[in-house]
Amino acid sequence: MNIQQKNDQTTVVTGLQELVAANAAQVRDDIRAALPPTCLNLELDLSGLSFLDSSGLGALISLHKTLRLRDGIMRLIKPAANVQQILELTRLHRVFEIVR
Amino acid sequence: MACELAAVRTATLAVRDWLAEKGLPEMELGGWELALAEAANNAVKYANARGRQQPVTIEVLWGEREIEARITDHTAGFDWPDKAELPDVDAESGRGLFLIQSLTDEVVYLRHRDQNILILRRARPPGVAEPLPNVRQLQSQLADTEAALADMTAELSSSYESLVALFRYSSELGAHASLKDFSQRLLKDLMQITEADRAVLRLVSPDGKKLEPLLLLPDDQQFTLKPIRLAGAPASVEISAARKQQDIWFSPEEPLAGDDPLRAAIPTGNGICHPFFVANQLVGTATLARSGEDKPFAAAQVNLLHSFIDFLAIQIVNARLLDERTSAQITRRELEIAANIQHSLLPMKIPACPPFEMSAAYQSALQVGGDFYDIIPAGDGSLLLVIADVMGKGVPAALFAAVLRSTLRSMPQLFNQPAELMATANRILFPDLTRVDMFVTALVACLDPHRRKLLAANAGHCPILLWQPGMAQAVAYGESGFPLGIEPLTRYLQTEIDLPPGASMLLYTDGLSETRNAAGELLGEEKLIQIFTQAATQTSDTASGKQFLLTRLNDFRNQAPMTDDQTLVFIRHTA
Repeated sequence: MNIQQKNDQTTVVTGLQELVAANAAQVRDDIRAALPPTCLNLELDLSGLSFLDSSGLGALISLHKTLRLRDGIMRLIKPAANVQQILELTRLHRVFEIVR
Repeated sequence: MACELAAVRTATLAVRDWLAEKGLPEMELGGWELALAEAANNAVKYANARGRQQPVTIEVLWGEREIEARITDHTAGFDWPDKAELPDVDAESGRGLFLIQSLTDEVVYLRHRDQNILILRRARPPGVAEPLPNVRQLQSQLADTEAALADMTAELSSSYESLVALFRYSSELGAHASLKDFSQRLLKDLMQITEADRAVLRLVSPDGKKLEPLLLLPDDQQFTLKPIRLAGAPASVEISAARKQQDIWFSPEEPLAGDDPLRAAIPTGNGICHPFFVANQLVGTATLARSGEDKPFAAAQVNLLHSFIDFLAIQIVNARLLDERTSAQITRRELEIAANIQHSLLPMKIPACPPFEMSAAYQSALQVGGDFYDIIPAGDGSLLLVIADVMGKGVPAALFAAVLRSTLRSMPQLFNQPAELMATANRILFPDLTRVDMFVTALVACLDPHRRKLLAANAGHCPILLWQPGMAQAVAYGESGFPLGIEPLTRYLQTEIDLPPGASMLLYTDGLSETRNAAGELLGEEKLIQIFTQAATQTSDTASGKQFLLTRLNDFRNQAPMTDDQTLVFIRHTA
């Protein structure tokens, strides 16, 4: 996983391969720790994410709430079809901003 | 797989690869991967302390039409909703069960003690080509099938065995001497089938307050179990199971409490205590155990325990209902017999004894008492009058009345000496009356028509009431001695009463003076004397005098039930 500051307000996370029970809490904490106080845009590049389970969904919701609390926004970038399906199945595609 | 989250990922990927190899399309693979991950994650996250030391297993069966996965967890178990709902969108957890249900066609969750099995099934899409297996694969498949077949056969034969056993019990039920024998037979078989070596069966006591031991197996134990109070005994696993209405397990790790009464029977080992109910009423508890063996009962064995014991519960309740009905029938029959005896003792016809005229009445209360009266011609024109009350109810009282009647009738030579007659009857009857703790109050009197006198002896009985013309009120006569059956060598006083023309006399039992009304008030001797006085002065013959008395007693009772027999003999000097 790679966390980069695009600018003061935008943080981009790439290289996510799996977001599952085994690593979800760690990923969430790492990203949250790396967010500068000024960050209002969190972009998670999900194009390389092969698998997401309900714990992973929990981590995404947690980050989503973190951004919303500071009037920012979290975007999910290019999730694969299977990940998109899970998001739709759990109706979270209406909550997250998904960029295809 | 080990009970760790990291292992879940590896295991689900392995399953995914295996399913992919089988030719399952990509879409389906993702669904199974996620469903299995959710199930296995839960198994890891919620494992108990012991469970964390044990592996989580995932078995996947490639069926002809569907794929089935079994995930074994060692948790306290989950309550599976019929339809899992999604949580609030902000919730960071709580989507696992929903995902599992959404991704599969069928979810079955089998809860056992420290092991639960989640079974997931989903139809296999048609047209998935079976890859051609090689010979080695075929051989291993054959071995798998044979093993599965052997398991199924074993399971089937055990079910068959239990079914046959239950049918056999049903047919043998009538042939067994007692419920205890029957229960013992059933419990022994159950122990054998479930590989248990200890069993304790307790039933709720008739008053519903205790669990009383019925069986302790094996039956060569050196001690006996005591009843335990349902309201007390917090240490008792049997009481807890009965109260919580659920099975309670114990094991070397979670043994019975030190002061659990069951410990005497099952000091160590694995066991299960099953409370059983019929129509929501606790019937008892059954405990099965494997002493000294660290192997809990398997699910199939627990099922057997449940079916056997629930079957037994119904038999127990049926047997009890039958007992109650039988004893009620016996009681009713006994009362009929007693009533028949009693009526057969009464004189069919009152002998004539001019110038005396008399009427008698016998009214039986609901419960048959021991009243009787007798009027026996003495041969010289006089009559022996007997009125008695055997203290007791039912057949024994009626039988003693019969014995007293015969005893008195066997001594006609003493009819004109009532005191001597009474003393002799007491001597004869004393041993028998003492043995059965009964006694008899009696009054015997010789009515002499020639001398117009009455000679009477009283053994603890109600006095004679006498009214003579000129009296404002009747008087009570007759010194009373001990009732029959109290003292072996009692002597009785003999009272002589003159009976001038117009005199009326009443012999009665305490059912008259002790008539009660609905308010519980007693009539009493005073009132009876008043009523008798009115009967003597206001009626012209004994039949109407008797009727007058009974009507007034009935009026006093005022719808209250009769609690004792009422017997009376009304005598009048008509000349």
